[in-house]
Parts: sequence; C-alpha cells; structure tokens
Amino acid sequence: MSRPLEGIRVLDFTWVMAGPVATRILAALGAEVIKIERQPEIYLASQMGIANDINRDKLSVSINMANPRGIELAQSLARISDIVMDNFSARVMRQWKMDYDNLVAIKPDIICVSMSGFGHTGPHTNYVSFGPTLQALTGFSLMMADEQGRPAGFSYSYSDSAGGYTGALAAMFALWHRKRTGKGQFVDFSQFEGLTSLIGPDLLDMSVNRRKPQPHKWRSQEGPAAPHGVYKCRPRGQDADRWIAISVRSQEQWHRFAAAIGNPPWTADPRFRTLYSRMQHDAALDQLVGQWTQGQNAEAAVALLQDAGVAAGLVENIEDAALRDPQFQARGYWPAVAMPGGARTQVSGMPFKMSRTPPNVLNGAHNVGADADYVLGDLLGISPADRQRLANDKVIWVE
Amino acid sequence: MEASAMAGLRVLELADQRGSLCGRLLADMGADVIKVEPPGGDPARRIGPFLDDRPHPDRSLFFWFYNLNKRAITLDYTRSAGAEILLRLADCADIVIESLKPGRLAELGLGWEQLHRRNPALILCSIAPFGQTGPYRDYEADDTVAAAMGGLVYICGYRQEKPVRAWGLQAYHCANYYAAIAALGALFARARDGLGQWVDVSIQESTMAAIEHLAGNFFGPRIIPERYGTMHWARGFRVGKCRDGYVMHCLAADWTSLIEWVKADGKAQDLDDPKWGHRPYQREHVEHVFDVLDEWIKDYPAGELLRRAQTLRLPYGVVQWPDKLLEDEQLAARGYFVEVEHPELGRTFRYPGAPYLFGGTPWRLYRRPPLLGEHTVAVLGGELGIGTEELAVLSGEEVI
Repeated sequence: MSRPLEGIRVLDFTWVMAGPVATRILAALGAEVIKIERQPEIYLASQMGIANDINRDKLSVSINMANPRGIELAQSLARISDIVMDNFSARVMRQWKMDYDNLVAIKPDIICVSMSGFGHTGPHTNYVSFGPTLQALTGFSLMMADEQGRPAGFSYSYSDSAGGYTGALAAMFALWHRKRTGKGQFVDFSQFEGLTSLIGPDLLDMSVNRRKPQPHKWRSQEGPAAPHGVYKCRPRGQDADRWIAISVRSQEQWHRFAAAIGNPPWTADPRFRTLYSRMQHDAALDQLVGQWTQGQNAEAAVALLQDAGVAAGLVENIEDAALRDPQFQARGYWPAVAMPGGARTQVSGMPFKMSRTPPNVLNGAHNVGADADYVLGDLLGISPADRQRLANDKVIWVE
Repeated sequence: MEASAMAGLRVLELADQRGSLCGRLLADMGADVIKVEPPGGDPARRIGPFLDDRPHPDRSLFFWFYNLNKRAITLDYTRSAGAEILLRLADCADIVIESLKPGRLAELGLGWEQLHRRNPALILCSIAPFGQTGPYRDYEADDTVAAAMGGLVYICGYRQEKPVRAWGLQAYHCANYYAAIAALGALFARARDGLGQWVDVSIQESTMAAIEHLAGNFFGPRIIPERYGTMHWARGFRVGKCRDGYVMHCLAADWTSLIEWVKADGKAQDLDDPKWGHRPYQREHVEHVFDVLDEWIKDYPAGELLRRAQTLRLPYGVVQWPDKLLEDEQLAARGYFVEVEHPELGRTFRYPGAPYLFGGTPWRLYRRPPLLGEHTVAVLGGELGIGTEELAVLSGEEVI
C-alpha cells in the first residue's frame, strides 16, 4: 500500500529550519518534495551538520531566482506541482511573481502555504524573525526562568519545530480540501501566531482572569502534583549531570512512592500527609526526595518507581536516547539513511506509526542540484543541451 | 458561508489532556468532534486555572482552551451498556481519537480489532506517552516525564545547574499536532480504498522529533548538546540585560553594521579586530562576543536599543512577558484573538484564535467549549435514535 501523499508534488522554497521541517513531514508521508536552492552551495555550510535530519528525502535543484529565466523555470515547476511552500517574509515570493495571486493564474487549483514570521498582513508583516526572537517575543524566555530568576530557554529553536509541524498540518488541511472539492487556496501561516497558539491555557488565564504571568519553574502545569520535578542522581562514570523526573499526583501514588523508596521516616511527616500540604512544603519535600535520588543510579531509580506505578523518567540526553533507551530502539525511532556517496548515518524518525501506510525515511539530504536531470529533464522536458546552456548561463547550478 | 476543510467529518474523542488538542485542531477546521467523557467528566475539567479562580467542571480555562468548538456527551463506556453505545457511535464516525492507557480500549471490547471489524473505514488515532508498543508501553507518564524522556528537559536551562522545563505542555502539543497530521494522512489513504487504519502516536517520540539539533550533532560528530541558557546551540542568539529589561542579541545579521554601532558607543573593546568578522572564529569564541555586547547594552533602555537596531536592520528581539501579547498590534491587526460568548455565564471572553489564516477554508469559531454532558441527549437521542425511555434508563443507571 503506497504512502498517503504519494502522487502529491511539493515545490519547496523553504529554507533554514521551520519550512524544511514542514516539508520533511510531507516527504515522509510520500509526497515528492522538490527543494529549490538558490545558490550553488547549501545554506549555512550544510546547516551545521543537521542537513540529513531536515532535508532528507527531498529532491534538490538550484535555481538562480535573480535571473528572469530562473523565475520562468520556477513557474514551470509550479505549473506541475500541487503545493508551493515558503517561509520567507511576505514580500519575497511576490517579488519573484511566485506568490498565490500570480500562480493561481497559471495553475488554478494551486495551494500556496506561506510560513512567514509575522504573516502577510499587519504592521509587522515585513519584520525579520528567527525562532529564538519569536520565543522571546511570545514570553517563553522569561516564563522559563531558572530558580534564580534568570531568563532561560530551549537552547534551540523550538519555534522552528513547532512552525514545522503546524505548517505541515496546514498543508494537509488544504490538500484534503482540494481533494474533496478541487479547489486550491492560499494559507497565510504566521509562525508568531503558531507559537502563541501553544500557550493557550495560560494566555486565556491572562485574558480572562487578568493574571500576571510568572514562571512556573517546576510547579506542575497539569493539575497539582508533589513531589514534581527533576532530581539529581548519582554520577554515571564521569558524568555528574544525571537527573530523573518524578511526578506524584494522587494520594495512592504518594503511598506507592513512599513504599518504593523504603518508607523513610520523613515520608510520614505530617507536612507531607496530603497533596495540598505537600505542595505547601514543596521546597522541603524536594530536598528530601533529592537526598534519596542522589544516592541512586538514575536508570535504576526510574525502574524502581515505574515498577511501583509512579510516573518517573530519565532526563535523557541524546546519548541516552540514541544508544540506551530501549523504547526508541524497539520502535525503530532512529532510521539509518544513505548519504550521497553511499555512507550511512542515522536521523530522527517520524513519531507515529500507521498500520497500513507507515511514514518512511529513506535517504539523507541530496547534494545541491543533484536532481536537475530528473526535475528539469524528465519533469519539464528540457533537453540535456538546454540544461547545459542554463548551467553555463548560471540560471541553474548542477551538482 | 465559506467552506470548511474538515466539513462532513465526524470525530469521536476519548481523550484527556494528553489527547485533546488533536480534536480541537480538527474541530477548528470544521470537523464535528464529539468528546465522550466519563460520567464525572474529563479529568481536564478539574485542572486549573479556573474562571475567577473558582474551581468547577464548567469553569476550567485549561479545559476551555483544549475543547473549544467540540460537542460533549457523557458515557460510561467501561460498562457494557455504554460500550455498546460507543460502538454504535463509532459505526458512523470517521476518526476515533483516544489517549487511554495502551490496551485499555481492547479490554473494554473497543480495541482496534473490534472497531475495525464493525466499521472497516474507521481510523483509530491513539496517543500515548510511549506509543502502543515497546518495553515502556505501560510506563506511567505525564507531560513532565514524557518531555524528560523525549530529550526536551536535559537541554533547557543552564549548564551545571538544574534543568528548567518548557512552558506549556509542549510534549503533548507536539504529539497532538503530529496526531492530526497522521489522522489526515490516514484519510488520504482511506480515500483510495475505503479502509481505515490504526495510527499510533508516541508523545516521547513527538517531543524528540521537535528538537532540531540532537540527532545531527550526535550521529555525526558524537556531540552531546547541553544546556546553553538562552543561547541558541548554533550560537547566533543570547538574551542580554539592558537598563530596564532584556533583549535578544542576534549575530545572524550584518556584523559590520552591528560592530560600527558598538564602536561608535565606545564599547567595542576588542571586537573591532577584523578576526571577529570571520564566522567560524566568532562562533568558536562566541561567549566572549556576547559578554562584550552585554557590557555594551547594560545602560541602554531596551526600547531605545530596539528602535536603533530596527533602523540598522539588525533583528534584535524584544524579550517580554506573554501578557503583552494581549495588546500586540500585529496580532490585533490580524484578528488573532476571538471573542467567545458563554451565554450561561452572561459573559464573553477573549480566546487565542487561529494559528493559520486559510484563504478558502478559514479557521472558525463554531461553539464555545461544551458544558459537561451538554450534547448527550442531542447526540444519543436525536442523532443515534435512542428513545426517550431508554435514555431515562441509561441515565438512571448512570451510564450517561
């Protein structure tokens, strides 16, 4: 059984991160993604080693969009595509006449999904944005302050990953509508709004109750819990950065937790008798739980607590996740992909299974321009001599 | 009225906070999502914050956000009379979303095999902390534990110190967006041959899938990324402190414009040496760059710094508290917030709205979040055709 999006062609103008994350999801579901590079080399020196993760299973052609013949080529590709995706600010695609209004004239059922930072309308439509700046703007940096009140954050751009999955979902909605009705449309996805939509309950609290925001730190965000947080464990070899997460909610879980760690006398302290009083005294409780964990091997402590039915988990670093976590292994989360030249590496997989049409991850990122023969020759019918001429005139770059 | 992308699709949702956003995303685009709650209600109704800080199952803002645009019935499908009704509802549904413990549906006679046998076109979308298979399948987890095991906790915060956690239930959010994507994928597959399938979403994996840099750094050069505070791992961004607040430094722009400005302020220290314009060198010693820039901005008012950065096209960023979003002019201009009327309270509230604007099939407000059991009679009586007397019996037996 072929994958869900087989037969769908995506013309992919996205770059850097959020857009490519969106189109890699469509590729894993079977879409043919043609990634347009706009220079002879890949952006950001192979994207800091993560190109195979974000650009896997995409065809690569490189077109000089500063050249009118390059724009003609891109429009010819749009004519045989189902969906055109970009994550530029609003003006870029318009400048190239690759925006929805221009493309719908040459391909009436085209879908354009634009994943700009701030959207195509409004006073900030042309603002430049990056994931970390959006995170700061939407409040994540301050809300994630550490115990000393210093702003903190993700150490990466969660905004780009979130923009990626939101953009992919938007594309799927539009594709589904077209499948049912034959109609394309323009989707104006603002990553700023995407990120703002991921803090809903707290934003509603600020809007409805006029709550002043303050960092949650380790207080539970889904109902009361205590103990709740991360607790430091015994070093693993030289590595002292070992932590486990523990989350205890019901009274029954508390009793199981106490029993699992051997009912030390402090678990009978009246301050910890009810969930409410445990939360009132959470600093004292956290310290005592931490005294227990610091003598424990992290993995063993997790197994002990889970055996007792207590929610607990290793604070995994990538080595834990890639090499030691048996769950990722058992579900085949780290697929091996072929890189140009034949060597193999592993990448992050798709986080869901489908019983009949599973998503698939096969190959790493293609070299820039590697698929010019197929895309420009087979799909557009441009002869080898004409392709050579385009390359000589620097309208395209080939591998 | 404009079209809806998900018009005509019926979704049953047997989900608590782990799996409620998926149905919300589909409902926002026009699917008829019926939330099936146990008689006491979805546990999420007991999660705060609450309207006016008064706890009540119909006043949970947490529940409101995740359940806008849905209808809700109560049904005790752990009992056979309730399970039978659920099967009848599933006969005319396109998608069932569930976040029960793995294996629990099958125990109730409502598992994939049973559902598929009765209605081969049905799509079952299961969302669980570790998915439906593997040695951790039955592990207990909330968002905190799933985020920790999905790699998100280890990298948030400062090196050598206790990790911090993501704001919002982002492990759940990742899984629910992926679940919606997968459910749509299953609809495309079904359109070919009429057959549904079972979608199995892991919250742990969805969290890992939303971290861009771990796999690439590890499987190639065996780097284990750590916690970098507010610095981005690729070293282009870090938060710095101004006189009256914070700003986000940005090196991903023209270095010369930035350094000319710093120099004009007499604060460039050694950064005017051309070697700092060389990106690899700059990246390697970036802590020093940010330290000098922090020293430069410490007496600037944030507003003035950001205005001047803007005129030089340097994408320095505002670092603000999220309540500022409520008065953000860009969000306002695009109509991001929507007014939702709650007639039973005689009040109207401002909700966050659409993450995307669709030209042809817009996100829409269809209905406020459902009250507990609000649509039980309409759905089971009116639509499923259960008679008044039987409804009364079911109610008397506390099945509905």
